[in-house]
Amino acid sequence: MTRTLNPVTVEVIGSAFSSAVDEMGEALVRASHSTNIKERRDCSTALCTAKGEILCQAEHIPMHLGSFLQFVPRLLEAYPAEDLRPGDVFIGNDPYAGGGTHLPDIVMAEPIFVEGALFGWAINTAHHSDFADRGHAHVYQEGLRIPPTRLQRDGVRQAEVMRLFLLNCQVPDERLSDLRAQMAANRLGVLRMQELCARFGVETVEAAGVALMAYAERKMRAGIAALPDGTWTFSDIFETESQAEHLTLSVTLTIRGEQMALTFDSPPQVRAGLNVIYTALQATVYYAVKSVVDPTILPNAGLARPLSITAQPGTLLNCVHPAAVDGRISACQRVVDLIHGALAQVVPDRVSAAACGSVHVASFSGTRPDGGLWVYLETIAGGSGARPDKDGLDAVQVHMTNTSNLPLEALEAEYPITLMAYEFAEDSGGDGTWLGGMGVRRVYRADADCRVQIMGARLTSRAWGLAGGVPGASGAFRINGDPQAIGLSGSADLAAGDIFEVITPGGGGHGDPAGRSAVLRDADARAGRKAARA
Amino acid sequence: MAWRIGIDSGGTFTDVCLVDEDRSEVQIWKVRSTPDDPSRGIVQAFAEGLSRAGVSAQDVAFFGHGTTVATNALIQHRGVKTGLITTAGFRDLLAIARQKRPHLYDMSADKPQELVTRDLRLGVSERLRGDGSVEAPLDEEELRTAVRHLRAEGVEAIAVSFLYAFLSDRHERRAAEIIAEEFPQAFLSLSSDVAPEFREYERLSTTVVNAYLGPVMRGYVSALKSKLHDAGLSVAPNLTQSNGGVAGFDHAARVPVRTLLSGPSTGVVAAQRIGQVTGIDNLITFDMGGTSSDVALLTGGNCRLVAEADVHRYPLKTPMLDIHTVGAGGGSIARVDSGGLLKVGPRSAGAHPGPACYGLGTEDPTVTDANVVLQTQNPKALLNGQMPIDRDLSLAAMQRLADRLDLGVMETADGILDIVTANTAKAIRLISVQRGHDPRDYALMAFGGAGPVHAARLAAELGMDRILIPRTPGVLCALGLLLTDLRTDYAATQIRLLDEARPAHLAEVFEGLADQARDWFAREGIAPEAQRLSLHVDMRYAGQNYEIAVDLPEGPIDEDSLAALREGFLARHEQLYGFVAEGDAIQMVTYRLQATGLVSKAQMPAYPDAGPDASAAQTGQRPVWMREAGGFAETPIYDRTLLRPGNLIEGPAIIDQLDTTTVVPPGMTARVDPYLTLILERST
Repeated sequence: MTRTLNPVTVEVIGSAFSSAVDEMGEALVRASHSTNIKERRDCSTALCTAKGEILCQAEHIPMHLGSFLQFVPRLLEAYPAEDLRPGDVFIGNDPYAGGGTHLPDIVMAEPIFVEGALFGWAINTAHHSDFADRGHAHVYQEGLRIPPTRLQRDGVRQAEVMRLFLLNCQVPDERLSDLRAQMAANRLGVLRMQELCARFGVETVEAAGVALMAYAERKMRAGIAALPDGTWTFSDIFETESQAEHLTLSVTLTIRGEQMALTFDSPPQVRAGLNVIYTALQATVYYAVKSVVDPTILPNAGLARPLSITAQPGTLLNCVHPAAVDGRISACQRVVDLIHGALAQVVPDRVSAAACGSVHVASFSGTRPDGGLWVYLETIAGGSGARPDKDGLDAVQVHMTNTSNLPLEALEAEYPITLMAYEFAEDSGGDGTWLGGMGVRRVYRADADCRVQIMGARLTSRAWGLAGGVPGASGAFRINGDPQAIGLSGSADLAAGDIFEVITPGGGGHGDPAGRSAVLRDADARAGRKAARA
Repeated sequence: MAWRIGIDSGGTFTDVCLVDEDRSEVQIWKVRSTPDDPSRGIVQAFAEGLSRAGVSAQDVAFFGHGTTVATNALIQHRGVKTGLITTAGFRDLLAIARQKRPHLYDMSADKPQELVTRDLRLGVSERLRGDGSVEAPLDEEELRTAVRHLRAEGVEAIAVSFLYAFLSDRHERRAAEIIAEEFPQAFLSLSSDVAPEFREYERLSTTVVNAYLGPVMRGYVSALKSKLHDAGLSVAPNLTQSNGGVAGFDHAARVPVRTLLSGPSTGVVAAQRIGQVTGIDNLITFDMGGTSSDVALLTGGNCRLVAEADVHRYPLKTPMLDIHTVGAGGGSIARVDSGGLLKVGPRSAGAHPGPACYGLGTEDPTVTDANVVLQTQNPKALLNGQMPIDRDLSLAAMQRLADRLDLGVMETADGILDIVTANTAKAIRLISVQRGHDPRDYALMAFGGAGPVHAARLAAELGMDRILIPRTPGVLCALGLLLTDLRTDYAATQIRLLDEARPAHLAEVFEGLADQARDWFAREGIAPEAQRLSLHVDMRYAGQNYEIAVDLPEGPIDEDSLAALREGFLARHEQLYGFVAEGDAIQMVTYRLQATGLVSKAQMPAYPDAGPDASAAQTGQRPVWMREAGGFAETPIYDRTLLRPGNLIEGPAIIDQLDTTTVVPPGMTARVDPYLTLILERST
């Protein structure tokens, strides 16, 4: 049955798209084996058109959109559409070949065939905790590079591709199980789309997809048009565990009618895993603009149309081969701060002070008694920025990520680590009329010799406040109390019994601290909360 | 003569069902609820009902009660001031939760309100390891100081949740003894009692919600119990729980967190029983009210029990029927968003000011207005004529919306129904397709005030070809109270490889749970012949962290039981995820035992066949918009109370009754079964 296309049919089909990507995500999480996916949910799912435009992305991890933007277009360059068959599965991860934004995010895609023709793609990416303890001078040190590659043909696994991949992984059993979960998730997406096309007719579903993208575009245009025209600039400091020197990043943001142009300035790309591939920059801009302009815009390709993004190739924010990219999310978090800092000048009542601005990562690895390797990666939440009318949120993942924590009772069962404390960093949220959210203090004890690799920003700089609000406190990594124990290499050995401590940065405050009411100050004191001072 | 009574106390009405155990004739009535003190309305309903039926309170042999007291206290944050004691270093876990932010893109979104403020969350030195051994002993002096502090702060309830308490309760038990010495009046909630399962945050959250609601429920139950006693009730009253069973008032007051789905769960139980007598046991229930719809899936007559779900944004580990709620009801408001698409709900006009046709100031059309415009609902009055409405107001509201969409008025109203249907269908896909079940293998049972109005569209959207409308769709929950058993659940977590398990291990764990169940049977006074136990194991592949519940067959536990668990697990895994991992190790994680005390149920009488002719029940006709007919079709109107078994009605038709309206579209036929249930099927 082919139904006529009206706003109602479009809404109904759009709701089927979003329920399909949610279902794919749930299946991926539940069937996977590695802690980073099954409990921390560091994975995302989406549906694409035949050409690879995003039809619908699930609300998982904003950074992962960067993995989807070029995967299908670049795949189609290597595998012409007439060469594709139902039951094919493609794998990839390489930023310079369209496969992703850093190597551990492994993308899998399966073509959706309806009535013998290519209708679109089910696609997902999952962050595999592997390629651990590597170097980051250039991308060749960071892991195995995989361009979009056929892993399964006509439903038959290409065993030699799988063997090559698994040999390059430190925890191959986990990789295999996780890849199987990723394939199962795509399979569900394919089935759901085929059912949908059977119900509505393939032309109607395709037309609804086009209409949904136009709809997201209209909402983005309407949102931008409601902002005043003009040009604004904002600069911020960028430093990380491997980049002690303070680099300056800046944006020039221009609004003209329904369009917004963003031009980024940054230093030349660095010999560290901090560089940002263009697709990662795009994903970051889409997130940051949408969160201020209209958080309800559908997550599809349409929302990008009114935006133009420029950055000089070969710079930190638009790197070229062979720049290392593993920690690109640190720079992307700062890009969000840049855009929000510029938009705070345009619509001060809609923008929060800077959030913690970091994805604090601790990645542990070691050897099991049986000789096998183990790798455990986690990212630790910080404070969000104070809002114009209320405090920031304590201990949440901000902006480009939104992964869960791992239950302690699961962590200690799988790895030789004991968690000693997990609590608010009481003096981390910036002071103000409204306080920045508090970061977290997480303390581990190594129960066996192992190695820890860290990643994090705002270790010497601080998340800015707005309207007189005080910046949030910086974060830290310590071994046995020593903040200098981990050098610029970002990694260190832990002996059994060593205490490793992570403190995440707080969010910036909003408004003059003198404006905070006595009632709230009293409640802060009772809660043992000491705002970060200037 | 023995009577059974069920009283379901909702926000607007208190529904009563009374049945004589010998004649089985069900009597139903409603009184206005008394939200400031619900027990007043309940006792009034009890007394009025009995006098109306000419029954003495002494003759009541069973009293079942469904309540929203716990739910409302949680939604409105009217629980008590609560203290929390945790392992030192982990007091903020309650607020950190799973460290995700509440909305991915909207920075103004907030986390759910903290039920215990930071000054009342105290860490105490103690620590167990993952094997249940002691890393650090409980510091009893520190604990005493903490309890004295909480007492001085004026808390009424204390939650205690230590790490690994699901493996060993020794520190929590000792803490309970000390709290009983220092602060005996406090309502005490221990994680090892309330939710002895793996994953510390969810266990903590459940324990805290239980403490927060404890004194509220304890106060409510004891006041109600004494009032019912004064009114002459001589049997122990029962309260429904989220698992679809009832338990004694005292049990419910001890674990109030288990009553949060008390209301919707009895509707599911009633649907289950009606399906049974009708001979249809694969059902999807659809309970649509003014602001929301509850949906559930029954396979082979059973609704899946989930071990964990978010309730009003708080994660809870407690056995609940797998009921999903979506913000789609008769009062849901339709609007056009900034991108030009039509959206319906979740904002609702509620009962006040209600839909535009009530004339109380609502400007935007609601789902009810769409039905009034299309005349699927009576355009002059609702509630069998008791409530006059103004269709012109619905039309005007609809016209404003239609202009913005550049659609016709009827097309717009029709579109609103399509969208509310799509929203509900999405919820049903979640509980069916997403759990590996095809809705086309199920019949739709529609109830609640708005369910039967939208059932046919919803069924068509999901490809379902059979719909059941029970005889009393508006009071199904009260009826469910007379159809349910006493029921409670026990669980223990002990991770073990299936390949290494011996039947004796399994038997030992279940024997421990059965001991607890036997104590409960004794407390509830359940006779041995009425006692039933059913056993389940939550299983997964080693390496996964989400488990699948597998039934353990009845009978002694032996090697065959282990084989049955393996088969059951593999079949479910294939059904849910589309693959089995040949050769991968399988783990048993949590062992669950459900204890049931059978009670004699209200019987549903069958009525003699009166033949297919339904003309005696026809009360008139009016033009009704039928999408299948492409516009308005002159449609006969029937009175539900006049329909007799065997009557057949070809669509298009409208069947009215006090509490709802059933739409029979062209292409469907409605048949009345011997239990006066309406069965709609595609015409052949």
